[in-house]
Amino acid sequence: MKRLLLVIVMLAIFSGAVFAEPIKIGALFDLTGGTADVGKPYAEGVRDCVRWFNEEKNGIDGRQIELLGVDYAYKIPQAIAAYKNFMRQDVVAVHGWGTGDTEALTKFVSRDKIPYFSASYSEHLTDPDKAPYNFLVGATYSDQARIALKYIKENSEEDTAAFIYNDSGFGRSPFFPDAENYAKKIGVDVVDTEIVGLKALDATSQLLNMQKKNPAYALIQETYMATSTILKDAQKLDLDTKFIGLNWTFGKTLIELAGEAANGFYGTNSFAMWNQTDVEGIKFLHELNAKYHPDVKYRAVNYVQGFSSMYVLLSALEKTEGELTGENIKAALESMKNFSTMGLTAPVSFSKDSHKGVTALKLYQIQNGEIKSVSDYISAD
Amino acid sequence: MNYTNCGNFKTSYIKDAAIFQTKFSLIMIYSFIVLTFIFPFFANTYYLYLCNTIFIAIIGAAGLNILTGFTGLISLGHGAFIGVGAYAAAYIFNNTDLNFLIVIPLAGLVTAAVGMFFGIPSLRLKGLYLSIATLAAQFILQFFFVRAEFITGGVSGAFVNFPSVFGVSINSDFSFYFVGLIFTIIMLLAAKNLIRTKTGRIFLSIRDNYIAAEAMGVNVFKYKIISFGISSFYAGVAGALWLFYLTIITPEHFTIGVSIQYLSMVIIGGLGSLLGSIFGAVFITLLPEFLRFAADNLSQIYPAVTSAFAAIREGAFGIVIILFLLLEPEGLAKRWNLIKAYWKLWPYSH
Repeated sequence: MKRLLLVIVMLAIFSGAVFAEPIKIGALFDLTGGTADVGKPYAEGVRDCVRWFNEEKNGIDGRQIELLGVDYAYKIPQAIAAYKNFMRQDVVAVHGWGTGDTEALTKFVSRDKIPYFSASYSEHLTDPDKAPYNFLVGATYSDQARIALKYIKENSEEDTAAFIYNDSGFGRSPFFPDAENYAKKIGVDVVDTEIVGLKALDATSQLLNMQKKNPAYALIQETYMATSTILKDAQKLDLDTKFIGLNWTFGKTLIELAGEAANGFYGTNSFAMWNQTDVEGIKFLHELNAKYHPDVKYRAVNYVQGFSSMYVLLSALEKTEGELTGENIKAALESMKNFSTMGLTAPVSFSKDSHKGVTALKLYQIQNGEIKSVSDYISAD
Repeated sequence: MNYTNCGNFKTSYIKDAAIFQTKFSLIMIYSFIVLTFIFPFFANTYYLYLCNTIFIAIIGAAGLNILTGFTGLISLGHGAFIGVGAYAAAYIFNNTDLNFLIVIPLAGLVTAAVGMFFGIPSLRLKGLYLSIATLAAQFILQFFFVRAEFITGGVSGAFVNFPSVFGVSINSDFSFYFVGLIFTIIMLLAAKNLIRTKTGRIFLSIRDNYIAAEAMGVNVFKYKIISFGISSFYAGVAGALWLFYLTIITPEHFTIGVSIQYLSMVIIGGLGSLLGSIFGAVFITLLPEFLRFAADNLSQIYPAVTSAFAAIREGAFGIVIILFLLLEPEGLAKRWNLIKAYWKLWPYSH
């Protein structure tokens, strides 16, 4: 009996030494809600990154990572519930998703000192005074609009622009007041603003309105569906205006939806595309997918977004000195300078004054149904 | 035990008007209240979070029940009225030195005024027509939340700091629990007594037959507006509590979906029953959590069908509600009464 007890005690001690406690990270995904079309590939990117760390890099300092993924269906109360549940399970960091839920959680996150990444690129989430534990990998919507305006200023003879957006927090966030002020500053005339709903199937009247002002370029802040409507109607009306969409408008799905009308459309995008095999990170992701998902031949840009965002978070955990507390992780993140994401994004830097990971991006254009990059990294100032 | 005599043997008006007819039910309710006050000392943050959202939902649902269940006026704008309360509380709290305990009823009063304004069409419009008019209120207010940046902070929302009372900061689920619980008890007591007053009885008469009520000399319009006011007051209090719990409010919190959610709480719980509002609020708040829990666990056993489970979960929510309406059209409150009646006669049910 005594011997048995001894064996059990030894086993307990031994297994405790070998199997260190996993590191828990919470994640909010939208797999069934309003943004599920981009949320699903994003979630797969996040999951694959964790799997890669666990299987190939033996976790973080030998500790496996446990990802507590929750599908919150783009509903704020469910996001808060999930967050409280994460806290109960002692997560060290959370990877969130939308604008509304990230904002609703900001105060809790600051109080609980939980580093919080999100896929919402709303600029006011990057101010460390108001949201000290929120971080973004990817250029903010405002920066994207600024970069687009800068591109217009440098590449067009007429400096006129219009804004097309949906009347929600997501839609208005880049333009009012950030892009509006920036346009004034660099001397681009904003001649028109038009509202097109996210699920709009017709944008003719808005485009006819815009046609009267005849702007050289129009900036679009929508998702795929409304963007394809706008592009198709613009083709129908034979508009001269060129369109630049912010990141959620741009990708292969748009080409599928809009067809010919998508040709000539520009997109601001801070992430590398699946067909850019000259980029180290994309090459690596091709290999990773061949191994993990042999039947997957193509990944949407949202997959790359999810992967690189998680990659930055996990790399920060690797760099963290001492215990994995919120404060230590935050310090590790804030000391990241020009961190390379294998070219998936421009180098990532955080500092005590800014939690914008990326401030530079490339402009892409759809040419003959192919996505081509048309600029080098442009940075917002 | 919980027996009442068959027949009326009451010897005083006080006994006749008592909410709890027997000592047993009084003891039960007091011990239940004591238990709810002890509960947070043993619960973790997640359960406290659920309780806190339930408190807010109960207050909102009780308000809607006064309007829909007791007065018979349908409203599809309750979510927006809750928003008005939240923004009003944020504005008052940020621009004055008032304690949040005073701000909450003030926000309720502001919302009551807004609700009474949007209740004016109820004079001429009934049933479906009124529901569309209140739907308009929902969209007008939502538009206002996005545009009136000087009050609401526009799309980036309204922020407040964590409030404090007697030097205790209400910055955790634990401390908020007590605020929420006390407000819920006060608001429910007020509603319970409101229904027993002349005003409450007039509400019932309007619901049952407004022509008869008018023929009896009731100023129907006045009382419809009063009903809108009281219901919106409750919505305002719920909204203000929601604000002080989250400390940030954006227009995305008060969509048409919220209005429908409150309506389904009232219907599933039981129209015209305060107990029903409580049951409905608990049920609708816990159902998505339960379904999420089930889906997460099932998808761990069968990882290949993760996304299928996610979709099934959304469908299950709808099916549960449909089944409820089919099998228990009078709501959970009715089922509760049936259960009580069963035990009253047990074991000699015949």
